[in-house]
Parts: sequence; C-alpha cells; structure tokens
Amino acid sequence: MVNANGPPSRFRRWAAGVLGATGTALTLVAGINAVVDPFQQYRLAAAFPPRFYSLHHRWINPGIAKHAAYETVLIGSSIMESTRNGWIAAACGGPAVNLSMPAISAAEIRTLLDTVFARRAPHLVILVLDFNAFAGRPDARQDSAGPIPLYLYDRNPFNDLPYLLSGTVLKKSISIIAGRADESFRSDTDAPWFWGDRFRFGTAEVLQGLDPTNINARFEQPARTLAGTDASFAHNILPALQRHPDTQFDLVWPPYSMFVWRDFEQRGQLDVTFDFKRDVARAVSGLKNVAIVDLQTHAEVTTNLDTYMDIYHFSPQVNRWMIERTCAGADRVDAATVAGAEARLRAALAAWSPPSTAAR
Amino acid sequence: MLFNSYEYLIYFLPAAVLGFFAFGEHPRWAVRWLVVASLFFYGWWNPAHLPLIIASISVNFWLAHQIQRSRVRHRWLVAGAAANLALLGVFKYADFLLRTLAQLELIPPIELGLSLPLGISFFTFTQIAFLVDVSRDKASEPSFDNYALFVTFFPHLLAGPIIHHSEMMPQFQSTSNKLADWHNVAAGLFLLAIGLSKKVFLADPLVPLVTAGFDHAQTIGLVQAWLSALAYTLQIYFDFSGYTDMALGAALIFNIRLPINFDSPYRALDLRAFWHRWHITLSRFLREYVYVPLGGNRAAEVRVLANLLLTFLLGGLWHGAAWTFVCWGALHGIGLCIVRLWRRRGRPLPAPIAWAITFGFVVVTWVFFRAHSVNDAWAIIRAMTGVSATTDWPSVHALMLANIAAICALAAGTLIVFTHRNSNDLVHSFAGSWIAAAAATAALTLAVLQLSTVAPFLYFNF
Repeated sequence: MVNANGPPSRFRRWAAGVLGATGTALTLVAGINAVVDPFQQYRLAAAFPPRFYSLHHRWINPGIAKHAAYETVLIGSSIMESTRNGWIAAACGGPAVNLSMPAISAAEIRTLLDTVFARRAPHLVILVLDFNAFAGRPDARQDSAGPIPLYLYDRNPFNDLPYLLSGTVLKKSISIIAGRADESFRSDTDAPWFWGDRFRFGTAEVLQGLDPTNINARFEQPARTLAGTDASFAHNILPALQRHPDTQFDLVWPPYSMFVWRDFEQRGQLDVTFDFKRDVARAVSGLKNVAIVDLQTHAEVTTNLDTYMDIYHFSPQVNRWMIERTCAGADRVDAATVAGAEARLRAALAAWSPPSTAAR
Repeated sequence: MLFNSYEYLIYFLPAAVLGFFAFGEHPRWAVRWLVVASLFFYGWWNPAHLPLIIASISVNFWLAHQIQRSRVRHRWLVAGAAANLALLGVFKYADFLLRTLAQLELIPPIELGLSLPLGISFFTFTQIAFLVDVSRDKASEPSFDNYALFVTFFPHLLAGPIIHHSEMMPQFQSTSNKLADWHNVAAGLFLLAIGLSKKVFLADPLVPLVTAGFDHAQTIGLVQAWLSALAYTLQIYFDFSGYTDMALGAALIFNIRLPINFDSPYRALDLRAFWHRWHITLSRFLREYVYVPLGGNRAAEVRVLANLLLTFLLGGLWHGAAWTFVCWGALHGIGLCIVRLWRRRGRPLPAPIAWAITFGFVVVTWVFFRAHSVNDAWAIIRAMTGVSATTDWPSVHALMLANIAAICALAAGTLIVFTHRNSNDLVHSFAGSWIAAAAATAALTLAVLQLSTVAPFLYFNF
C-alpha cells in the first residue's frame, strides 16, 4: 500500500523515530531524577548533601516518612516546624522525626499518618492539633497550601511519573549534580524546616499590622462549625488512633498567644472551639493509647508576646518546651478535666488586656 | 483521565493502541478491546459513573431497536429523547433550577448535590441524535459492540468532537481499519504533539493572567480587564482546540477520522463564519437537531430570528447550568440575528472592519463565559469600556512583571492564531519529513516534562 504522501516505510520510520527519540529522552530524564532523587523519595540523600527546599514540605516529607529511622514522630502545622528532631529524641526517646507542614489540614495529617504506618508503626506520635486544620469539609485543604502530590505518599512506583518526568525536578537534579546552590534550601537533617532563626520575635512584631478590634483582618482565617470540626476529627484522626493501639498518640493543643483567643471571641468562635476540645476529649476517652496535652492554659506563655512572631507562631524555645512538657506527661486533660482547663483559659482571657499599640 | 496526564500518555494510550492492533486479525475483539479500554478511560476519574454510561448506552441501543420495529416510532422517539434529557436534567440542570427557584423565593433553598458525570452532555446528545436519525431511517445499528464503541470511543468521549453516526459507523465496521496504517499512526502522533503543545505551552501559561483578572472582577482596571479577556480568548481556543487535536490525533492512530472542530475561528469576518469555524460539530448538532426542527430558515423573518435566538440560548445552556452561559448564548444569538439582517442589506463591511467587530464581539462575550457571575461579567465589561475603571499604570506594570510567561504566551499565541497555518492544514500536508519528526520529538518531550502541574481541560464540565 502506498499512501498519497509517501510509502508506508517512510511513515513507519518517522513514527518509530519520534517514539524512540522521545522515549529515550524521557527515560534518561527519569533515570537522572531517580538516581539523584532530590526529594528523597527512594532513599535518604547520601551521595549528595540533602536539600530541604523552602516550602517543599509536601514533596519531601513523604520521602522522609518512608526512609528515615525513627520511633517518635511529630506532626503539626507551621507552628511546629522549628522543632529539632534532636529535641524530640532527647525528650521522648528514640530517634525522632518532625514531619510538620505549613497550613496542614486534618486530611493531610491522615495521609501522612498512612505513610508513616505503612513503613512501620512508631512508638509515639505527637499530633499538634491546629484548630484551622479542621475547618471546612473533612477532605478540605487550604488553598494556600498548593497542590499535594499524593502519588509520593504511597509506595507504588508506577504512579511516580509526575516526579520522575518533571522538568522542575530535573532542574533540581542537574543543580545538585553541578553543585549549584541556585535555590533556597536547608541541609540540616536535624531541623529540615526550621525557620526560627530567620524571624524576629517580640511584642512589636506581633502588633505589626494588627487591628486589635478586628484581629482576623490580617490573618483571614476561616470560620469553623462544631459539626464540621467534629466530622473532620472523626474522619481523619480518630480512625488512626483506633487502628494502631500499640502506638501512643499524644494530641497536643498548642499555646497560641492570647490574641488568638481574643480573635475567636471577636468572631464568635470561642464556644465552637471549646466545644470541639470537649468533643475530642470525649471521642478518645475510651482509647488507652491516646493522651491529650493542653498547653493553652499556660497564661505565662500565651501572654508573653516577646516569644511570638505573630499571634500564632512562637519561638523555637516554646517548641522545645512543648515537646518536653508533652513527653514528661504534664498538662494532661481528659473528658473529666477538660472543663476545668476551659474555665482557667476563659478566666485568663477575661483578665488579659492586650498591650497598647504604643508598644509598636 | 486527562489527555495531558502521564497515565494517559505513558500507560493508557500505548496499551490501548497495542491491544487494538494485536486484535487486528479479529475485528470483533478489536472493537470490544476498544470499548473496554474506553470504559476504563471513562471510569478512571470516577468509577461510580460507569454504571450510568453503560445503562445509557444499553437503554438507547434498545430504544433504537424499538423505534425501528415500531409502527408508532414517534412515541418511542419522544420517550427516548425525554429519558435522555431527564438524565441530563437531573445531573446537570436540577440544582441550577432549584437555586433559581429558591432565589425567586418560590421554594426553600435545597440542592441535590449530585456530581456531574464527565462528558454527560456529549454522550447524551450523541445518542439523542442517533435516535432521531433512526426514526428518520437515516441510521441503524445491529451490532451492540459497534454502537457501544460509537458512544464510548475514548478520544471523543469527554469533550467531543460531537460525532455523527453516519460518519463513524462505516469506520468502526471496516475490518481494514483494525490493521496498523503507518501513515495514520505518524500523522496521528504529529497531531497529538501539536495538540499537547497548544495545551502545555500556550493555554496553561495564560491561566495566571486570566485568573488575576476574573478573580478580581469588581476592582479590575481598564488595561487589566482587556489583558484578562484577551488572555482568556486565547486560552480557551488553545485549550479546547489543543484537546481536539489530541483527540483527533489519538483517533487517527486507530485509523478513525473524527470530524474537525476548529478552523482558525478568530480569523472569521462575521459571527456566522465564526460559528462555522468554532466548535464546528456543536454548530452542526444545533443546526440539524434544534434550529432546523424549529423551522430553520423556512419561515417568516421574525420566526427565523426567534429560531436563531432560541437555538443559541440552548447552546449557551448546553455549556453549563449558569446564567453566565445563558447570557453568552443569548448574546451570540442576538449577534447572529444582527448579522443576518445586515447580510440581507447586501452591503458587506470592509474586511478589516468586519474582522475587528467580529473579534471584538467574541472577546467581549467570552467574558460572560468565564466570569464567576453575571455581575462579575458586567463589572469586567464596564472596566473594558473605561466607564468604571481607569488605567493604573504601576499596577499594570506589576501585573505584567508577575506574569511574564503569560504575556509571552499571549504574544506567541496571537502570532500563531493570526499568521500560522492551523493544525488541520499541517496534518493534511503531513509528509513525514525529518523536520516534522524533530519538532514532534522536541514538543512531546518538553511537553511531558511540563506536565507536573496538570491543569484540567476547560471543557470537561460541559
């Protein structure tokens, strides 16, 4: 058969040439990305110093979860990123890893826990629960978090093509091979996502751009409903606690500055928040492997704005203090004592006067 | 499964092609293989919708036989069309209707909240057209396998082109089409590379510029409004025509020629010509199955104009259950009425003026198509006219600096749209040159390396 445009052998050669050349080029790219492995998906970095690229938590943390040696895991939002693995290991025992991610949602905590437990059940999981993680639908994520590459959270290599055939990853691979440092990254395996050394802490920083009469104007945090937060907890967190009775889970309520509670008050979110804390205590009350650590009643911390950079984020010293309190067994609350903790926090909030804007 | 996804390009398409030609000596099995592959393709995103499409195909095949055998064909046809439209109505339009009634305070706020099955408009209208043609003795299909392939053939399943039974069934029935034709394989690959390049290198980079405008409709400035509208004009063209090129290319590899859907629409000199060049198979469907049955041109002038308007109102609604689409359809209907009246005067405009009016009209009406609401659309159009917005040059400068890639894509896209041969021409004259091979290899390789941040095709919800 001869086509009007030429003999079939010509088109056969053409198609074979295009497919062969494209296939070879893509195989080469996949090979380079698999060997250099900038996001440590197949092994921890050994041939090259590790690169923890700024804001690449969602790409790199699943690799760390799969390959690092650890007995204790910390998972939280950006407020926990400046917690060194060594601090956790010293306070809680065993090698430890911090897998915190900015703007983490409850659904992402569930995904990360699945990755962690698919490897081997750790002895201790510390979950620092950010109220905002439970906003929206149970599977909701914050828009600002960017895409989550779920294919990296499992162990199926056949769905890793977006990683292996990514031009962006190839650029990083070449940069690593060439020894160029043309992007922002850390190489400290003890504190991959540590940011506490790059920001200033103090009352002036907290008050920067803050309207004390409308605190949320600066942060634009979403409103929560009790039904929504309860459903999210039941869907994303509770099943993991029930499925892994041999692992100790410490659920930690973090010590936001008192401004956060004033913000909740301004937005009518205070009761929703306290009700949620009560519901969580009730939900885990029958689980022997679960403890709740409430660090929000420490007014000496939450009113000392010199240890904060904004109303949510505290200094690394507070991170360390949190881990030490948690693993020392302090500040435990349960379904019976949660109301007392609430009363103390409400009293502290009522007694608190925010610093005047002159402090700026 | 998206055409611009790794799973489609690296796994699915090669496996589907190899399996099809492996069954080449057994045409019935080759067809069945392609049906199964197409259903797998369809179910990849949401397997829960597979029973729906299978039921839709089975019921319509049965209805076609009832229509053929019955002496009361019309009743069966009405029942079949009603069943198809009811399915579409429940999944696509029920919530729109309920929301509208609630806004009019006729009912309390209530929503069904059903997820929209992908491509439901495409496979529903394809099958209604088939039933209509069966009732007119213009079509018949004794083989369920061939009929199922006609509906599900994956290159056209999710976003068209809208195919016609008469142009597809002979190709599906041909036994020689089950054997590899290397010209078709090469030309199909070439077309697929063109389509993927349009999507990845031209449509996707425009997204930030479009979003920057349409997400801030109420505060947008004059220049930003025009930039966003023009960017969307090119984005939707390269996105949809790129998708269509990939569909046509994939089909050609299987020796199936799908109808072309685009023919340089932005070069049209009037709106009527635009609709002969834009989404051609939808225009054909609306003409044959809505406009002509309404009376078409064979009526008094007022009735013809009403037919045009109604056809395009339905065309707008076909694209989505929202008032923005209704407005877009209505504007095009009105525009076509004006063109018709003008043509009757017999005084054609000079080509540059005719083109500028047509292109300007298309750009402005796309604002309704893309805007989040009719209010947003009006806000952007007011900004484009300069009535409600001035030019804040520092913010224009900042916008352009922040979207350099989009500005480059806008410039390159404009050049290609108005000066370059379109993909139909390129594939028609495809001769398997080494220059084409090098270009296709580079395009495929670089496009695949760009796929990590996959943006869904715009036409998936229609």
